[in-house]
Amino acid sequence: MQNSNSEYRVEMTGISKSFGVVSVLENVNLKVRPGEIHALLGENGAGKSTLVKILSGVHQKDSGKVLLDGKEITPKNTHDGQVLGISVVYQELSLVNDLSVAENIYLHKLGASKFWMNWKELINDAQELIQSLGFDIDPKAIVRDLSIVQKQVVEIAKALSEDTKVLILDEPTTVFDPTDIQKLFNNLFRLKKEGISIIYISHHLEEIFKIADSITVLKDGVDTGSMPTSEIDTDGVIRLMIGRELKDLYPERTATIGSEPIFEVRNLSGKYNLVHDVSFSVRPGEVLGIAGLGGSGRTETAKLIFGEFAKKSGELILNGEKINTKSPVQAVGHQIGFVSEDRKEEGVFLPLSIRKNISVTSFDPISDKFGFINTDVEYENVQSLIKKLNIKTPSSEVDVKNLSGGNQQKVALAKWLSIDSEVILIDEPTRGVDVGAKVEIYNLINEVAEKGVGIIVISSDMPEIMGIADRILVMHEGTIYGELSKEEFSEENILRYSIGEPLKVTV
Amino acid sequence: MALNLKQELSSPGGLVKLLIKYNTILIFVLLVVFSAIISDVFFTSVNLSNLLKQVSGIGIISIGMLIVILTGGIDLSVGSMVALLAVTFAILVNSVILPVAIIATIVIGFALGSVAGYLVAFQKMAPFIATLALMTVARGLAFIYAKGSPITFNTAGGEFMSNFANNSFLGIPNIAIVFFLIVIIAMVVLRYNVFGRLIIAMGSNEDASRLSGIKVNKYKFLVYAISGSLAAVAAVIVASRTNLGSPNMGMAWELDAIAAVVIGGASLNGGKGTVINTLMGVLILGLIGNILNLLNVPSYPQQVVKGAIIIFAVLLQRFEGK
Repeated sequence: MQNSNSEYRVEMTGISKSFGVVSVLENVNLKVRPGEIHALLGENGAGKSTLVKILSGVHQKDSGKVLLDGKEITPKNTHDGQVLGISVVYQELSLVNDLSVAENIYLHKLGASKFWMNWKELINDAQELIQSLGFDIDPKAIVRDLSIVQKQVVEIAKALSEDTKVLILDEPTTVFDPTDIQKLFNNLFRLKKEGISIIYISHHLEEIFKIADSITVLKDGVDTGSMPTSEIDTDGVIRLMIGRELKDLYPERTATIGSEPIFEVRNLSGKYNLVHDVSFSVRPGEVLGIAGLGGSGRTETAKLIFGEFAKKSGELILNGEKINTKSPVQAVGHQIGFVSEDRKEEGVFLPLSIRKNISVTSFDPISDKFGFINTDVEYENVQSLIKKLNIKTPSSEVDVKNLSGGNQQKVALAKWLSIDSEVILIDEPTRGVDVGAKVEIYNLINEVAEKGVGIIVISSDMPEIMGIADRILVMHEGTIYGELSKEEFSEENILRYSIGEPLKVTV
Repeated sequence: MALNLKQELSSPGGLVKLLIKYNTILIFVLLVVFSAIISDVFFTSVNLSNLLKQVSGIGIISIGMLIVILTGGIDLSVGSMVALLAVTFAILVNSVILPVAIIATIVIGFALGSVAGYLVAFQKMAPFIATLALMTVARGLAFIYAKGSPITFNTAGGEFMSNFANNSFLGIPNIAIVFFLIVIIAMVVLRYNVFGRLIIAMGSNEDASRLSGIKVNKYKFLVYAISGSLAAVAAVIVASRTNLGSPNMGMAWELDAIAAVVIGGASLNGGKGTVINTLMGVLILGLIGNILNLLNVPSYPQQVVKGAIIIFAVLLQRFEGK
């Protein structure tokens, strides 16, 4: 910076890149000033990740120019990128689970400098860095034992552990709850003041408008425009992203809600986790939202119901009858479905085809008593689900790892639609999913509810949960702190219950 | 399958991709051509029939190994199981009627495999450790029951088995027919049966499998039991070929079986591997041994060559999927 008079910190011009025959980026431009937060937007598969990966050295461009402070750079790998001062926090966490927080943060330095490590210095430095971010994590803790939010913080600390000129954040807030997001934003503003350029990739448009100075939108590998945030509004961005108007993100609720509960939970407590005395019921056709901060026990509750975690006490009542779910096998036997928040680890089978993913829950109706599968019926079932869910793929035989996040999520859902589930628990229905696919997933939830299924949606995305739920339960410290009816829906009310405060009384 | 092949061929660069995808078959064909060129004995029916007889035993346990490896596990006990079960079969064949001896051996194989299955599935023991322990237990038991020396068949039933194992039907050795039957059954089950689908799903993502309501433990248990049963079939065959059951049989066969599965492109992490490729892996290993024998290469250099070819085959597979 000192040795150049370039207006831009990063200047990527005419970048093209293809993987095999698939063209991912075509003639894309991205210009970021020093001390600027620049949002990179686009649907999944639009090429955002590829673009930043070219900047950081993970991928090499086919053509185009990358300038850093006016000088052309060609990073061949991430190490080159780091040396140049380009740090990335990836969507997929890249921490070493078995090492401590401090070791992870300074991983790139370990072994590089000296033969012996100065543990004290390492731990002190890590402590300072984490504290400067406004979080409190023991630098000696093993990463495996951290929550996903803490891991994300460590990831960010790691990116800042070197002299960073350009910080790239790829969907950093998907795991954060609102208070943590605010902390992250404060940090970004601080870094911005220090002159660091920040490239911020996110699907949360509200976030973008809160923090970004300017925006570049990608659509199908082509940039559809760059502008200061002040010159555009949400609708405009969505138009650029998906090339069409998006009247309403959240569909009209059309399901008729039954009067008797289809599923009831009474005094549910976990054996090995913080969940205690959780009681609620869901009626057929109802979408019940569960909100709360990260770590409040939302996912744990779902996994207790589904039999993945051991229960200490509590009753589950399905259609008026007491049921037992000691394992997911039993839960599925009672027609309860569960879509995990962790799509890649717990939701889909990445190396397997769409067909094999979807039929994994539904072999009974399509196989004979010796377990031989009627593949014709299987193909038909899968084809109709692919069509119904609008999964974008050339065929049912494509491996799920080759699909975008949104389409992967649809596959994870399809698994439970292929059997007649009575209750479906959906943990973070649209995490890391682009706007277009989000709408499709919301519509799908709506349609499923119409069939009289009881749906329980857990979400950290407040506009989302208010947009799709009929009723919201808010969890705080392992139990349900309060319930909000549709008229009471507001970010403030959810937040108040989340932190254990009563609602403001309005007279 | 045919439809898939057509689709793959018509996609850009299809032929190259296909060759990479089926590289084990390619290596196999190349080895056959190479063998035929450098040795004029290779393509004689005596030699080919010997080759098939040699690979059948290891081939059968390789199918069991593949099924275990598909779930992300490993079964180190199969070599020793072959020894223990061959001794068991020899004792049985000398004391009860033949059908009972065969069935009892397979049932005992299933039971021994179940022990590994129980430890892995229900006691959450690492497959490597559980089957390593059973490996030494089985070998020890084989020596104990055989009192240290081979047990020769001495009944009519034994003679019948010996004839069966050393004769051919339409030019194909009977024991190779048994092997091929098992290969075909395994292919059909892995492709068209729920069992096959579920073990591949488990191997590719165990958490997702459990959360899809799959009885993960049941299937884990079963794969080891099946591996044990197949070790019993292999034991019956190898014992019959030599007319005796010896505690020294199946020495290090588990390693050959693992090598065959890996040459066949299966991933030790589970979820990836096919029967046809494992068959190719078995035949490739057999071919290497066979051609080196024909060229009069002594057995120690043979081991070096074998190892080198395993490394080469696995390196080749890295192009796959890229």
